[in-house]
This record gives sequence, structure tokens and C-alpha cells, in this order.
Amino acid sequence: MAERRDADVLEELLAAERQLISIYEAALRRDAIDAALGERLVAQEREHAKGLERALAGAGPRNPLASVPPPALGAALRSRTAFARFALDMETETVAAYVDAAATIRDPKLRQPLGSIMACEAAHQVALRDSLGQPLVVD
Amino acid sequence: MTRREALGGAAAALVLASCGGGDPPPRGGPRPGSGAALLGSLLALERAVEAAYGACEEVLRGDALREVRAVREQERAHAERLEGLIRELGGDPPPGRSAEEYARTFPRLRSADDALRFADQLEQRQVRAYLEGLAELPDLSLRGAAAEIGAQEGVHLATMRVLQGLPAAQGPFVTGAL
Repeated sequence: MAERRDADVLEELLAAERQLISIYEAALRRDAIDAALGERLVAQEREHAKGLERALAGAGPRNPLASVPPPALGAALRSRTAFARFALDMETETVAAYVDAAATIRDPKLRQPLGSIMACEAAHQVALRDSLGQPLVVD
Repeated sequence: MTRREALGGAAAALVLASCGGGDPPPRGGPRPGSGAALLGSLLALERAVEAAYGACEEVLRGDALREVRAVREQERAHAERLEGLIRELGGDPPPGRSAEEYARTFPRLRSADDALRFADQLEQRQVRAYLEGLAELPDLSLRGAAAEIGAQEGVHLATMRVLQGLPAAQGPFVTGAL
């Protein structure tokens, strides 16, 4: 399998961040998340997206990916519990994407900043587990 | 930063500065630049933090104690994984220190607040160490391991923050921004 270009890795992460922004914005509009928590999470996702945009500006030709709302979002917006579970799944997928990206990206200068976002997304998992009353540390 | 926070940070710095400095480098034959020395430093840090959580457990109760026990178990697993990686590179993992030697470097923890603040500082150091490792480790599989463990350390740091009544994520970038 051909190795991905750094720009493609960053585009995939940016698409994931935009999905997270869209689901938190939708949840805030529908009161499906505590307002303080939702505002904090979406503000941090926006900063991640801005950072990725900046990195992409220096990473060669771009191949932007479309970002569409996940089909399960509608059902997830029916209650705060359902949304927190849905968002936790998405944050878990995003952490996995950053783990992969931070290890595989070719530009060594990008590895630590991507790891920094990865750690923040891991913290989002903890925030959502806390909102669900679940144990914070899981295997 | 309050004086108490500053003291907590200083204590963590003391512990972590002393956790590996006196340990011998991995013995055996990993080639220079293999990443074995860096893994040895991360291992020394993991062992010190695992021991520090033992001290924290003595003053914690309830949910906080349960979470810290889970974290400590994961730190132990990280240490075992790092030992395996060092052996795969042809090295011998550096020996750890005794519980008494580690304990001498820890601050006196008088309360749950003390313990959680101390643990918060330790986890910040661990996250930073693994993210620095990402930039320096030469091999993709080693970077993959560092990223996986670093993500778990991010969970641990956030857990210590939540247990202190703080937001899980203090800012959008845990260390270093894009």
C-alpha cells in the first residue's frame, strides 16, 4: 500500500475535527450537552482545526475531504446520555486517528503537536465519561 | 500559579529528575540511535510514577482511590511494554529502584488534595516525555507505541484534573501547538 502524504494525513484529521465541531454545535443547539462542557469541547476542536489548517498551508497541494454529519447524529441528539455516548465513540475514533498520525507522519516537527492534540482528545474522552458517570480510566 | 501548585510542581520535578539519572543505561547491544536509551528513560519515569501512585493511594479514598489504582495498573503495563521493546532492540532494561529509594524522593502527602496535585504534575511530565519521544524515536513501530502510551497518559492527566474538580482538558494543546 502506498504511504500517505503528510498533507493527506492532515486532511483526514481536519475532516475528523470538523465532524466533531459539527456534532458539538448541533448538541448545543438542541441542548443535548451541558452548555459549559459543550462550549469548552467545541472551542478546543476549533483550535485544533485552525492548527491543522496552518500546518496544511505548508504541506503541499491540498486534497480537501468533504465533511458530512454522521448518520447516527439525529438519534444521538434525543438525550444528553445518548449524545455523550455518541460523542465518546467519535472522540475514541479521533484519538486512534491521532495515534496513527503522530507515529506515521513524515515531518518530525509535526509529530509532537499532533500528539499534543491527541492528548487533548483523550481528555475529551474523560470529560464525556465523567458526564456519563462512568469510570474515567478504562482499558 | 499558587504557591502550593508551585511546590507540587517542584516536588514532581525533583522526583522525575532523580528517577533515572542514576540508573545505568540499558546494557547489551542495541545499536546507537536505536531508541533504546530513550525507551530506558521513559521506563525509569514509568517506574517512578508507578511507585508515586503507591504513595498517593495511602491518602486517597472512594472514587479517587479506585481511579488511581486503575491508573497505577496501566503504568505498570506501560513499564512492561517498554521493557519488551528494549529487549527487542537487543538491550537489557535498566533495573528499577527499591520502593524505599523511590519513596525518599516523594513529597509528604498529607491529604487527597496533595496526592492529586502531585499526580497531576507527574502526568504532565509523562505526557511531555512521550510527546518528545514521538519526535525523537527513529522507528515507526516505536513511535506507534509511544503514541499509544502517550494517549493513555493524556487520559491519566485528565483524570487527575477531574478528580480535583477541574476541567478535563485545560486547553486545546496539552504541550506545543501546531
